[in-house]
Amino acid sequence: MSTGTITPYRSGQRPGRDDFPHLLRAEWTKFRTVRGWVLAMVAAAVLTALAVVALAGVSSGSQNAGAHPTVAIGLGGEAVTDDFYFVHQSLDGNGSITARVASLDTELANAGPLPPHIAVPWAKAGIIIKASTRPGSAYAAVMATPAHGVRMQYDYTHDAAGLPGAVSAASPRWLRLTRSGDTITGYDSADGTHWAEIGTASLAGLPPTVQAGLFVTSPQLLAPACPPAAICPPGSPPGQSFAGNSSLVSYATQATAAFGHVSLRGERPAKRDGEVGGAWRGGQIGFPTGIAFICGPGQKCPGPPAGGFKKSGGTFTLAGNGDIAPYVTDVDPLGTVLKGSLVGLLAVIALGALFITAEYRRGLIRTTFAASPRRGRVLAAKAIVIGLVTFAAGLAGAAVALPIAENKLHSGGWASSVYPVWSLTSSRGLQIVVGTAGLLAVTAILALSAGAVLRRTAGAIAAVIVLLIVPLILGAILPQGPADWVLRVTPAAAFGLQQGTTHYSQVTNVCQPINGCFPLAPWEGFAVLCVWAAAALGIAVFLLRRRDA
Amino acid sequence: MNALRAEGATLREALHAEWTKLRTVPSTGWLLLTLIALTAGASALATAVVKCPASCGEDTTKLSLTGILLGQAAVAVLAVLVMSSEYSSGMIRVTLTAVPRRATALAAKAIILTGVVLAAGAVSVLGSVLAGRYILPGNGFTKVNGALALSLGDGPTLRAAAGSVLYLALIGLFSLGLATALRDSGASIAVMLGLLYIVPLLTDLGTLDPRWERRLQQWGPMTAGLAIQATKNLKKLPIGPWQGLGVLAAWAAAALLAGGLLLRLRDA
Repeated sequence: MSTGTITPYRSGQRPGRDDFPHLLRAEWTKFRTVRGWVLAMVAAAVLTALAVVALAGVSSGSQNAGAHPTVAIGLGGEAVTDDFYFVHQSLDGNGSITARVASLDTELANAGPLPPHIAVPWAKAGIIIKASTRPGSAYAAVMATPAHGVRMQYDYTHDAAGLPGAVSAASPRWLRLTRSGDTITGYDSADGTHWAEIGTASLAGLPPTVQAGLFVTSPQLLAPACPPAAICPPGSPPGQSFAGNSSLVSYATQATAAFGHVSLRGERPAKRDGEVGGAWRGGQIGFPTGIAFICGPGQKCPGPPAGGFKKSGGTFTLAGNGDIAPYVTDVDPLGTVLKGSLVGLLAVIALGALFITAEYRRGLIRTTFAASPRRGRVLAAKAIVIGLVTFAAGLAGAAVALPIAENKLHSGGWASSVYPVWSLTSSRGLQIVVGTAGLLAVTAILALSAGAVLRRTAGAIAAVIVLLIVPLILGAILPQGPADWVLRVTPAAAFGLQQGTTHYSQVTNVCQPINGCFPLAPWEGFAVLCVWAAAALGIAVFLLRRRDA
Repeated sequence: MNALRAEGATLREALHAEWTKLRTVPSTGWLLLTLIALTAGASALATAVVKCPASCGEDTTKLSLTGILLGQAAVAVLAVLVMSSEYSSGMIRVTLTAVPRRATALAAKAIILTGVVLAAGAVSVLGSVLAGRYILPGNGFTKVNGALALSLGDGPTLRAAAGSVLYLALIGLFSLGLATALRDSGASIAVMLGLLYIVPLLTDLGTLDPRWERRLQQWGPMTAGLAIQATKNLKKLPIGPWQGLGVLAAWAAAALLAGGLLLRLRDA
């Protein structure tokens, strides 16, 4: 019968803090106290390393041993192609060489019954200053090309663009290289009077006497294998892939170019080889290439197309084939072996999804949201915890696996000049190890988001696996165009981080998904995965806020 | 009043119970729809992007069944859930109380699952073949270029299509066996899809020892099972079409056997 007001009960405890560091700590506690999850994460790292090493153990380079007959070793020990027809003189000390390219024609070598003319985009005709005639030595060159305009290239990997457009009698290209110490500068001109600088090359340790002259080369051309109904060039094998579809085949080509107004000027006359302006000597550098590729085992091989030169009056006509470029192989053993990390990836996808679906199954999610009502922040904390834990596990697994796997690959017959050993501190080694860890971490976040959206373990895991792995299979089955498209837009683009080979735009090897080459640059591909994960996380936050838990 | 029978439910009653359970869960319908849409949709897309002058040598039957690659994931999820959802909800104890013979309970689940997957799989495969039949001629796969329109009247195509339906059913049984052994849906689906998808990724790139590559293709459940879809270059296949499907059947039988044994030996 009291008439006083009743004071409602108030707990003496201070209200719980839900600031972000505490949220992170709560999620970390949830992760580390589930023994199965911790074991699964450790297993993901260990299995990744084991699978990569085991695959390296069954990778065989022996059938590949004779496949690189034309490789030269470049300045840094890397594999290069250095095959061309060279008309040259010695140049002692500083000086310059100038020439006008009046025509550049390309054709299919050993064309048989086919019309021989064929466009070779990266055929090259131009002038070059080279340390020596040894394949693999330092050089700088300016050249005309049929489809990429005038270029200045040096030391195999460097490439800069000059005047655009193809060469013809109506629009010839004037080219000039000047040497000053170790620095070589390239110029081009459309009329021989107005010159523009393309770029400079610094060739450290260039000897006082170098070889300067004209060169012509024409790489093999990748084209679709002959359809059965068409007349095929002799020796061209039918290409075949997983689904029995046709792939691309290399054809040998030959380029012919006409040069005029050739002049070589030196500060001082050459000591050994006569005066500047003396006799021009012609010769093949490296190998006339293409033969090993169009000639299958047991077939009668056509002979190599012959390079050569003719001089009449002031006009030089050169024919040649090959390439001066980094050597790019279309086989990627390291990339295949690193696919072993998919075993760890499966575990990571399962853990990422379970990190939230388990809360739904047990009803813990209601406690979580009661303790921390801002749902977006809860999901962000979960993403950070699962992302960091996965990154650490992936980093450990990949860093242990990479050196062992590379070691095994090379003892298994993969030549280290063509398939380089990337140390953990090299930029490629870092890309592979950090990239693999990042790939695993962002995938975990994608799986977490899928789990939050679907709230079902099996469905979320299956969806992420299909999204990430099936595009890789489709890339190997579909023809090049659609396969490239699939590997550009799906999160599988990120697997480009695990490529063991380097691709250059100036090398004609077409980047084919069937050979493990990805159309996007490695970190661009990773960005595609990140966009997917960010979008999924955004949808998850939106749905978490709108739905009842 | 019915007298309680000591021996528990018969297979017929167990089948009825399993059918009711499967039919009344909303996820079943969604997963079967996903199976049909993914299979037929991906198959249609694959046939739409392949053009003849560039790739006339393509195995058009196999190409128009490409969607099975994706659709099988829906079958695996469905099959895993048939078993693992009972464990996560505790329903398994009710099921095993009603059907104490555990082999009977597992058999009832396997039969109902197989029936449902066969029916939905037939629709998916039929959709894929029809898409191929009507899309491919527009892409240059015509008589002039040496390609006939897809038809189930053609022996190898019929074998590929019917075999693909069987393939899906075997994937279902394999997943069911795995889920019975592992009991956890997350682990089961990850292991199952890993076994399916990783093998072709390793063998496609051609850098492994050829003997290992061949072994992996012959023993991988997906690479072997999908040999049933090939209608061209049969002699070059690492394993023949029916032998390949047999390998997948062996995987499914082994998983069901292991699952059944563990179901008998363990407490629910």
